[in-house]
Amino acid sequence: MRIGILGAGAVGARAVRQASATAAVDEVLVADARPDVAARVAAAIHTKVHAVPATSLDHADVVVLAIPAPQAPVAELHVRAGQAVVATSDDWDDTEALLALDVLADDRATALVVGAAFAPGLSCLLARHAAASLDTVDEVHVAKHGTGGPACARQHHRALAGTARSWHDGRWLVRPAGSGRELCWFPDPVRAMDCYGAEVPDPLLLLPYFRDVERVSARMSATRRDRFTARLPMLRPPHPEGGLGAIRVEVRGTRGGARAIDVLGAMDRAGIAAGAVAAVAAVEVAAPRLRTGAFGLADPSLPTDRLLSELARRGVKAARFVGSHGTSATW
Amino acid sequence: MSSAVRAVRRAMLALGFAGLIAAVLRLRGTGGTPPQGGGWEELPFTEQR
Repeated sequence: MRIGILGAGAVGARAVRQASATAAVDEVLVADARPDVAARVAAAIHTKVHAVPATSLDHADVVVLAIPAPQAPVAELHVRAGQAVVATSDDWDDTEALLALDVLADDRATALVVGAAFAPGLSCLLARHAAASLDTVDEVHVAKHGTGGPACARQHHRALAGTARSWHDGRWLVRPAGSGRELCWFPDPVRAMDCYGAEVPDPLLLLPYFRDVERVSARMSATRRDRFTARLPMLRPPHPEGGLGAIRVEVRGTRGGARAIDVLGAMDRAGIAAGAVAAVAAVEVAAPRLRTGAFGLADPSLPTDRLLSELARRGVKAARFVGSHGTSATW
Repeated sequence: MSSAVRAVRRAMLALGFAGLIAAVLRLRGTGGTPPQGGGWEELPFTEQR
């Protein structure tokens, strides 16, 4: 199996490392707009990793896109060529454009995985896992904290200046990003963070896969300064790598006729977790295809638990909130 | 009985009732503080659904 990775930044380099550590992968091709960066990543990681120009990714079985949004135009080129594509974009408009490639991917009998990163990505897998333990699902609420590399930090900045869209009783509820504060508890050591509505695409990637769901929302943590400066240009260049990130996925529904809530979470450096999710998704779609078209990681045709097991084996571990007395979160 | 004494007695009676109701609520109340942290357990991915 040959995996191509476009982008050798915080997420791309981790995806290269994870892909090269997979026995089923024979060769990893890495390309970047800065060829010297791609060459450094290839030399530092493994002998089966080769730095190549972006045009050489046409020879890969799967192409992982770890470049700043928009990723849809690049994804379209590869899908049109019949290659499977894994996109890591966390931009709302870009995610919509990627999902719109569904017909083309179906036509080319190939798969386009959309939003295969930390959030969206791992958040979708956790939502699907939590939903499997419930009889019905009414609500899915996602919160995330932290950013990966500079592109992710810029996206975080933009997301707080845009519009926060959530699915609310059968329609999209549009509110200014940075509103709707909620104190969310993430896995230790991140713990409690104030989270706000933001222009993040998780609802777009969750809604199609939960029949009868009434509410889907996504929030991101932000400080007062983040919200105050969100509508200004970034005053200084973003950090090369964010600190610890975390996600929290709360799924509400019924189990055995009673109301039930399952709260799952994960904590890791966002770039590392995103790279691992992208690599695991790439290996999955490179194998005999389960389905064709464009889909997110909450798609029920994906082997959710196998993917989560594989991520846990690679150090990206999920946790369940069981309450302060070790009791199940059931009401 | 002067009106002042009557008012004091009524006030004391009201305070007594309030205390009694508060004591009952305190003993029977089930609200409490929601979980404030901790309580995360790693998901064991040994089983395959």
